Amino acid sequence: MSDRALRAGVALVALAGTAVAGYLTYVHYQPDALICTSSGGCETVQESSYAELVGVPVALLGLFAWIAVLALVAWDSELARTLVAAIGLGAAAFAVYLVVLQAFVIDAWCVWCLVNDVVLVPLLVILAVWRVLRQPDG
Amino acid sequence: MPPKPRKPPPRRPGTRNRNLLIAAAGAVAVVAVLIVVSVVVSGGGDGGTTTTSGGSTETLFAGIPQKGAELGSQTAPVTLIQFEDLQCPICRAYQEDGFSGVVDDYVRPGKVKLRFAGLAFLGQDSEKALRYALAAGDQGKLWPYVAALYANQGDENSGWVTDDLLERLANANGLDWGRLQKDAASKAVASQMEATAAQAAQMGVPGTPTFFVQIGNGQPYVVQPNSFSIDAFRPILDDALSQ
Repeated sequence: MSDRALRAGVALVALAGTAVAGYLTYVHYQPDALICTSSGGCETVQESSYAELVGVPVALLGLFAWIAVLALVAWDSELARTLVAAIGLGAAAFAVYLVVLQAFVIDAWCVWCLVNDVVLVPLLVILAVWRVLRQPDG
Repeated sequence: MPPKPRKPPPRRPGTRNRNLLIAAAGAVAVVAVLIVVSVVVSGGGDGGTTTTSGGSTETLFAGIPQKGAELGSQTAPVTLIQFEDLQCPICRAYQEDGFSGVVDDYVRPGKVKLRFAGLAFLGQDSEKALRYALAAGDQGKLWPYVAALYANQGDENSGWVTDDLLERLANANGLDWGRLQKDAASKAVASQMEATAAQAAQMGVPGTPTFFVQIGNGQPYVVQPNSFSIDAFRPILDDALSQ
């Protein structure tokens, strides 16, 4: 796969991530806007003490991370690629922690968080690491 | 004539691996800090830990929002109002029986929120314990503190609510002891106690524990479970949720 395709993939994933994290940040401040698929689990997760880190919503941290990825994809240098991979790997590790929290501590599932943690973040890691590792064209 | 685009120099494999290692190391460092902060700030934040000998409240309240005297999602469609006296042994029996089931099955999924309506009609120890429980609510930890008080409940008006006990339970639950003492003696807490007592009189609360169910912002109605097991509360709460 060409670097151009990988770059477009990262940009698309980051756009989707920005949308999901933006939505989760919005509902953090406007809980009534939350659209859940089952039994109030989203609310429980969003209102749990783990939804914030020293007063900053975890969703907002995610939003900043996705926006940073978008900016770095636009910049596109070797350093930018490395930074995207770093953000992706960090996000993946934190996503594992958040999924474990939902499964064993909060005991409730936030579907929108799972879309971010289980689908988008792993996709970002695959694409970003691939970009760093791939052989240059020609 | 436009300049001929130059082909970028091929990267050496060592460079790629080094970059990836740097990325991984940076990621691990940042995430480790975030997780430590999250565990330290949030793990005890909802008052998970107590020194209780009965009841594993360590995990019972973890992650559930607490606001003043309320436990659970603020948007829960049903509220279970619990009139209690912290010296009342029957209230303690409920705490040790169906309470955890109500929390796990109804509060944690966001279906029901609980409202602690504390009364102090059994004597001085009731009043002192209630003052500190309500003050713990100001720090978002009323429920684990109440659980800890029940688990350490002594004989009625035997003087069991000592400063030592209150401080020990406060420390075990991560409460600011100085602030707790100050808040417990505050007019705000006294007003809260008077308001609940007036509400109990107006609602005809005969004793403790007495339970009311409120659907949305509707008129609360009294419910009488035939035991304190979760099975006795289930039909009451399911019925309210289906309306």
